[in-house]
Amino acid sequence: MPELAYIDPGSGSLIIQGAIASIVAVVVFFRGQIARLIPGRRQDEESTTTSTSSSTASSVDDAAKGG
Amino acid sequence: MTPPRAADPAAPAVVPEATRDPGSFRDPSGFVFWRDGRPYRQIQSRFATEWDAFAGSPLERRLIERGRLLPYEPAPLELAQGAGAHAVIAPERIDFVSYPYEWTFGELKDAALLTLDAELDALADGWTLRDASAFNVQFRDGRPVLIDSLSFEPHEEGVPWVAYRQFCEHFLAPLALMARVDVRFGNLLRTEIDGIPLDLAARLLPSRTRLNFGLLSHVHLHARSQRRHAANEDEGVAARGARIARSRLIGLIGNLRSTVKGLDWTPAGTEWSDYADHTSYGDAATASKARLVEAFVREVAGSRAWDLGANTGRYSRIAADAGKRVLAFDIDPAAAEQHYRALKGAGRTDILPLVQDVANPSPGLGWAGRERRSLLERADPDVILALALVHHLAISRNVPLPMLLGLFADLAPWAVVEFVPREDPMVRRLLAARRDVFDDYTIDGFRAAAAGRFEIAREEPIAESPRTLFLLRRR
Repeated sequence: MPELAYIDPGSGSLIIQGAIASIVAVVVFFRGQIARLIPGRRQDEESTTTSTSSSTASSVDDAAKGG
Repeated sequence: MTPPRAADPAAPAVVPEATRDPGSFRDPSGFVFWRDGRPYRQIQSRFATEWDAFAGSPLERRLIERGRLLPYEPAPLELAQGAGAHAVIAPERIDFVSYPYEWTFGELKDAALLTLDAELDALADGWTLRDASAFNVQFRDGRPVLIDSLSFEPHEEGVPWVAYRQFCEHFLAPLALMARVDVRFGNLLRTEIDGIPLDLAARLLPSRTRLNFGLLSHVHLHARSQRRHAANEDEGVAARGARIARSRLIGLIGNLRSTVKGLDWTPAGTEWSDYADHTSYGDAATASKARLVEAFVREVAGSRAWDLGANTGRYSRIAADAGKRVLAFDIDPAAAEQHYRALKGAGRTDILPLVQDVANPSPGLGWAGRERRSLLERADPDVILALALVHHLAISRNVPLPMLLGLFADLAPWAVVEFVPREDPMVRRLLAARRDVFDDYTIDGFRAAAAGRFEIAREEPIAESPRTLFLLRRR
């Protein structure tokens, strides 16, 4: 903990960062591997796990709507 | 503490009194004070090592160059207030201090992205943000900027982001609620000035937001982790030992950034956003009104204009083109958001849209009700514009005309006010489903109400409409 922290960082907020970051790292790694296997697909600079999961989310929604 | 002495008009000029900013007390590393009407920031000795490393560093230079951090000048140490001062700086002055609960969705989102970009810049250089308060962001020339130069400290490898919780509560939770539930949740920031508690956000967000990895992690699981590790001594010790590699932390912030970036809201379907297209005016009336507004605004000295009920900003732009710096207030978050997007797209820097209900303006909030100042306390316009507004306040909100004009006079020495009479189709619409109890709502009633506080400098009919434009000068 930095000496000069003056806000309460919250125990749960400190503890969960490592777990989320690990998942992010794994997803980013595998997406990189998959991207390498698909020829001609360039990795978008902005995209991260979120865009992947939101597209998953929207395909779930589409499926729910029967689309 | 000695009480302040009463000013003696016969006494020779003394050193102007400095006052500590009532909103600057949480961080013992420093604070803001005001002297001669300008802000200074004092750095205390406890933060000396960090400040000396940051001031003039490549990181600071880069942040300022990129417009992410407010520039400052060094100031003499003699100005320091109280004991323990290490340095004093004079930050560039912000035109108007606005608060997160007054920002449009896009403004809050841009402030969030700025905060994360600054954190990414910092981490790349081995630094980190010690706080991520939305109140550390202000709008300068229409764009967000971090105002607190004391927010940066060296990052110790392995240490999690101390401000992660604050960022999620000040930015992510309200943005998620605004984008995924209802944009009016922006108002919740007025009561929750330390940010929206994550357990509350998690309860309010629809369960399908769990399908979004970012919202699942940073809101839902984050809230659960907070609950599970609720403060007790053992948990605190365990949390202090939490570790995360810097590269992973950068990945986490990057994910937070794309989560924020992915939150979108299209301003449509709220009260006024299509209002400009549905007014009762024909082209001739609109042109006549625009000419009169411009002429009246040009008659007023001073550069600051407040456009009350600005909608998407047609007349704000006219005032700005006439040389004013404009704050464009509107009650409708959709209209204000459209306005903000248009200005951002056009690269305009002289107008700032803000969400504000004239009938219920921002109160003083926080400690002693003075930490965040009320709108009226911050009011310093040279002129206000109240165009197509009076009938909404007088009829929809039942505000008597003398009270309405009293508020205008409290706000500014000049007012450009449009009177929309009862026979106007817009007023007829407001009265369609209710009893007309507004006996004094006539042009004579308006003139009489104005006479209480103003003299009528100009009065011109708007061509091809029953409306009248007034230029009022405060007595």
